[in-house]
Amino acid sequence: MASKKKAPVKSNTGGRSRANDDIGEDLRRKLYLSQLECRQVEQKAYDLFLQNLIKGTSHLGLGQEAIAAGFATAMKPKDYTFCTYRGHNHTLARGASMEGVLGELMGRECGLLGGKGGSMHLTSVEHGAMGSYAIIGAHLPIAMGAAWSAQYRGTDQVSVCFFGDGTTNIGAFHEALNMSQVWKLPVVFVCENNLYMEYTPISEVTAVEHPAADRASAYGMERIIVDGNDADEVYRTAQTAFARARAGDGPSLIEAMTYRHSGHSRADPATYRPEGELEEWKKRDPLPTYRARLLEFGISEMDIIAIETDVTRRVDAAVETAKASPPPGEDVLMTQMWADGGSAWRN
Amino acid sequence: MAELTYREAVAAGMAQEMRRDPNVVFLGEDVAAAGGVFKTTVGLLEEFGPDRVRDTPISEQAILGAAMGAAMTGLRPIAEIMFSDFFAVCWDLVANEMAKSRYMTDGQVTVPVVVRCANGGGVRFGAQHSQSVENWAMAVPGLKVVAPSTPADVIGLLASSVRDDDPVVFFEQKSLYATKGEVPDGEHVVPLGQANIARQGKDATIVALAAMVPRALKAAEILAAEHGIDATVIDPRTLVPLDTRTILEETIRTGRLFTVEENPRLCGWGAEIVSIVSEEAFWDLDGPIVRITTPHIPLPSADALEDLALPSVERIVETIRTSVD
Amino acid sequence: MNVIMPQLGETVAEGTVSVWHKKVGDTVAENELLFEVSTDKVEVEVPAPASGVITEILIAEGETVDVGTTLAVIADGGNGAADIVAPAAAATASAPIARQSASDGPPLSPAVRKLVAEHGLDPAAISGSGLKGRITKADVLALVETGGGAVLVGNRDPRGQPLSPVVRKLLGAHGLSAADISGSGHNGRIKRGDVMAFVSAHGPAPAPTASKALPAPAKIPAGGQIIPLSKIRKLTGAHMVASKATSPHVLQAVEVDFVRIERARKAHGEAWKAREGFGLTYLPFLARAVCRAIGDFPHINASIDGDNLVVHGRVNLGIAVDLGFEGLMVPVVKDAHTRNVAGLALAIRDLSTRARDGKLTPDDLTEGTYTLSNSGPFGTLITAPVINQPQVAILSTDGVRKKPVVIESEDGDLIGIRPIGVIAQSFDHRAFDGAYSAAFLSRLREIVETTDWSAELS
Repeated sequence: MASKKKAPVKSNTGGRSRANDDIGEDLRRKLYLSQLECRQVEQKAYDLFLQNLIKGTSHLGLGQEAIAAGFATAMKPKDYTFCTYRGHNHTLARGASMEGVLGELMGRECGLLGGKGGSMHLTSVEHGAMGSYAIIGAHLPIAMGAAWSAQYRGTDQVSVCFFGDGTTNIGAFHEALNMSQVWKLPVVFVCENNLYMEYTPISEVTAVEHPAADRASAYGMERIIVDGNDADEVYRTAQTAFARARAGDGPSLIEAMTYRHSGHSRADPATYRPEGELEEWKKRDPLPTYRARLLEFGISEMDIIAIETDVTRRVDAAVETAKASPPPGEDVLMTQMWADGGSAWRN
Repeated sequence: MAELTYREAVAAGMAQEMRRDPNVVFLGEDVAAAGGVFKTTVGLLEEFGPDRVRDTPISEQAILGAAMGAAMTGLRPIAEIMFSDFFAVCWDLVANEMAKSRYMTDGQVTVPVVVRCANGGGVRFGAQHSQSVENWAMAVPGLKVVAPSTPADVIGLLASSVRDDDPVVFFEQKSLYATKGEVPDGEHVVPLGQANIARQGKDATIVALAAMVPRALKAAEILAAEHGIDATVIDPRTLVPLDTRTILEETIRTGRLFTVEENPRLCGWGAEIVSIVSEEAFWDLDGPIVRITTPHIPLPSADALEDLALPSVERIVETIRTSVD
Repeated sequence: MNVIMPQLGETVAEGTVSVWHKKVGDTVAENELLFEVSTDKVEVEVPAPASGVITEILIAEGETVDVGTTLAVIADGGNGAADIVAPAAAATASAPIARQSASDGPPLSPAVRKLVAEHGLDPAAISGSGLKGRITKADVLALVETGGGAVLVGNRDPRGQPLSPVVRKLLGAHGLSAADISGSGHNGRIKRGDVMAFVSAHGPAPAPTASKALPAPAKIPAGGQIIPLSKIRKLTGAHMVASKATSPHVLQAVEVDFVRIERARKAHGEAWKAREGFGLTYLPFLARAVCRAIGDFPHINASIDGDNLVVHGRVNLGIAVDLGFEGLMVPVVKDAHTRNVAGLALAIRDLSTRARDGKLTPDDLTEGTYTLSNSGPFGTLITAPVINQPQVAILSTDGVRKKPVVIESEDGDLIGIRPIGVIAQSFDHRAFDGAYSAAFLSRLREIVETTDWSAELS
């Protein structure tokens, strides 16, 4: 590691005109669609929780859709994602079905995990969504392991790992970043900095201002900060990181600035936020921002409404499907602990 | 047949599987270039190269995380945790991640990983490097737990562990590393969940694990020669899956049961066996079931003290002699 | 409540406490066996007069006192009488844990208890070679192997005379067989003194040796086979011989119309089977009828002890269960008189299932007061069963078949078709006479034929 020039901070600049458009109309429709699906499903999850159809707890990603959509759209189908318990958006964005997600939240048979895992463990291996993890930091080295596997097998797969600002202070974060760099693994670590570690402002518990980006240099990585509420910027950042990884140049650490509209979990009314903060951030809500951008790029209001109507229709249908699905029966209780489908520990 | 030491058998077992399947990879601290701090992996780097045999930083969570991630995506990794006491540092990866992922995802995720470690005391390393913690792993649903007592079983059980699609924790007893034993030629595989009756008797049944097996056998010899008590000695070899049938059959036959456990007393692996036998063979017991264990303390380092703590041949003989009539 | 020395005979003025079955601090239930008293004529088991906790035992085993003397004190559960002293709560931190069982002697391990139950042995008669005189599994097995002399069924010697617990203990302690000792008591009963006299004269018997001569092997009949009698068959046989030798058996029978039971079975049978998983047979109805009839004729539910008829307060109904032609077991439904038809059906089902699975416990096989033997499923006409000692009577129910019968009506006698079966009782003529037994059977028939059995089930 010769010179350590501090990399320029990336922010949401870049002119919005067709002239310097590297993304294009099709991709933009995809990005909007993805964010919209995430937003509407997540809002349904909120409603269903209030109707007591979703039990336990749920960690909603309302407000953070652009990150999930931006990265997922930049990924290839065979890439791996690992996310936290705030993972509904990420799992949907990789292509998991809405009734699979909602059904799992409601503890029904049609759920992605048959009701066995719940909101915090959404997984869809067929889509590369290799799990949502509820222990802070645990999945960073696991994501690294998937990258090691890709490197060993000589494929160009990338492993993408999403986590929150609070994760940057736990031991596994440091172990994973260090070892990924030493082994030059094709893994992209994405810190969704929504400014709060559970109920505490992240600044109060972190020794540096940007909890991820300001630690990158400790692991020989570039300092990358992106506006997490601008799907186009997220997409571009993702592309760069993936290209690095696929070229064998090793891991990246990206800090995406964002904000969550709801509390940490359903139990949290988020009264610890200063007055006005939520309203300020809602002005930068990724969905209306992106909608406006679509219009700016010449996609018609009618087209946009068509997209929105279709999403609403599909989300409503998914809710009905999930509601009609029965809860799992006793016959599945003792299954699938072992690879043989059972759970026997003795003869 | 060849004679190998227990530590040589570890390398031999790993090599057998790595030759057979190119997806078997191995990582740990000081395992590649140095051949392992206990010299259990000598020769593997030379034979299989640095892509398949990797040295890691001191990062137990990263080691196990990497092994799990790789296992979920097509490889069959073996990870080494140098001393089993260190599991406490990375227990989340073992108990919450590897063990639970398949069940939580209703079978979407498979984790064919083997985590090897050097377990137990008797070598004067002090409390933080000497505990037997196979009972920690036994208590976690979703883990298979293996604890061989002979070089042949090391190879055979390691083979089965690698071929098993579930997470396996493989406890090598460090005090046995220098012991020798006959190992069959060619590929050797011992299925999990099969106990070995190391000695057949009729007056009492002794269930012992790992380093306690040779002590139990010694004690059985003395009990037979000097006290007219002819004991069966069973080595379960794996705690999960557990061969309860063999243990129940032998206990029903003899009417008496003793366990010899190196782990500290409370919630040791023998407690579960006692519970099963007292429930399912109650009416065939001709006396109380007795556990012979290390007392419930951290292990002391001074050799005189450590030898008092671990179940000795003398203590095994005395306990059984005074209990069986 | 004070427990006093009972008067065991009109002219008896005193008695000796021979055995306490409870100790201070134990809980006892009303009518549970509390102690035993002996006089020169008889030894009697005395039940507790009330439920509660034994707070004092004033007269020790072996002491002789006048009739009426207070022997012990029971504190009534929940009723704190002023003169009851609270048990000295001597439970200091170092006091040993109180044990449930008050029985003297070394404990019986589960394996020993199981073998003893399986072979119908009396542990008091087995000498223990284990630690502190404990009876080991090997001791029991050795006894069973050699067909041991001290093996007994129930509390009787081979001549059918009762053996008191103290006599049984002495026999066991000295390794003696009751068969070797002649009794000087009433009806040739063996008393404590007889055993001690034998011991002084002869010393304890040698341990059974393996050098006992084997009988010459039997010649196999042409085309036939030799089947050695199994242990359970030998023991059952010994019980039967002893029973016939003890009780003068008389057989009496009645023909019974089962139509009302049949109606109840038809009405409730399907729902019952769907709910419980097994069919409703005649047996629970008959068991209920028997309990009710015993209520009117209590001497049927009794035992003979020396010169006394011991009339039992509880009906513990033994149900004979055949184990696939390999042997007979008689598990007992305790307190059958407190159960209705449904309760009896479930209890009988549970016992017969466990009997066939080999899962009966010693408690399941003891303390029976009356026995039902059911050959009905085989369609037999009548059976003369052997009394299950020390009871005084046994009932056999046989096949129920449709028969033409005369039905009296206002329009004269008509022929109808009814399900008819024979119910027969073998009784011990020492306990009562034919008229009493006949009256009981008549009452039993009346109950079977006139009860609204459907109402009992709904």
